[in-house]
Amino acid sequence: MPEIPAGGPPPVSIEFGSLEWEEEVERYGAHSAARAQAQSARKTIEAGTAKLDWKRCKADGPGGTRLPGCRKLYVPLDKQGASEAPYGFVFQLIQKPDSSLAWNLIAFGERHPADGRTRNVYERAHKRLHGRYP
Amino acid sequence: MATAVKRLDLTIGEFVEIAGRRYEVVSDREGGVTIEPAITSAAELHALRGTKPANAEDFERLSVDVPFDDEG
Repeated sequence: MPEIPAGGPPPVSIEFGSLEWEEEVERYGAHSAARAQAQSARKTIEAGTAKLDWKRCKADGPGGTRLPGCRKLYVPLDKQGASEAPYGFVFQLIQKPDSSLAWNLIAFGERHPADGRTRNVYERAHKRLHGRYP
Repeated sequence: MATAVKRLDLTIGEFVEIAGRRYEVVSDREGGVTIEPAITSAAELHALRGTKPANAEDFERLSVDVPFDDEG
């Protein structure tokens, strides 16, 4: 679905690649809260009816994450705090073969995992971009 | 009946396939290793699809009014 930024530049689509979706969302159990929240958020995004509360990712973030060219959405979409919106999507701005731009999903996961061994969504995004964890 | 244990001599960065699904050996951050579903690199996906990261100017143009938070 197209994202239409204020000011009139061409719409930028938001894409959920099947491989990324499988690796990021379907790693959670079929009946897990995380997967249900991701599916619900995707449905809302694709319907194009909600105002999306985007945040920029940092080129130099906490824990050594480097996510230039990326933005994120908290999940559930209408919540903000880490307890109310414990998950996040990270998208990278990409250029497609026809030169159009798209926000492509690169990671989904917990923003602040309680278990210290669990990688947060930013670390997962970093790994997808750079091939290894920070 | 005793279950046979398959012993694997694996190091971080290696991959194993279990029931058709690829897993990567990663650090468990406690001095050991664990396996997790593999994450295909963006570079590999770009090569497959003919895409590439957008340039910084396009990102800035689209994100100039988008705030940062105190996370990653």
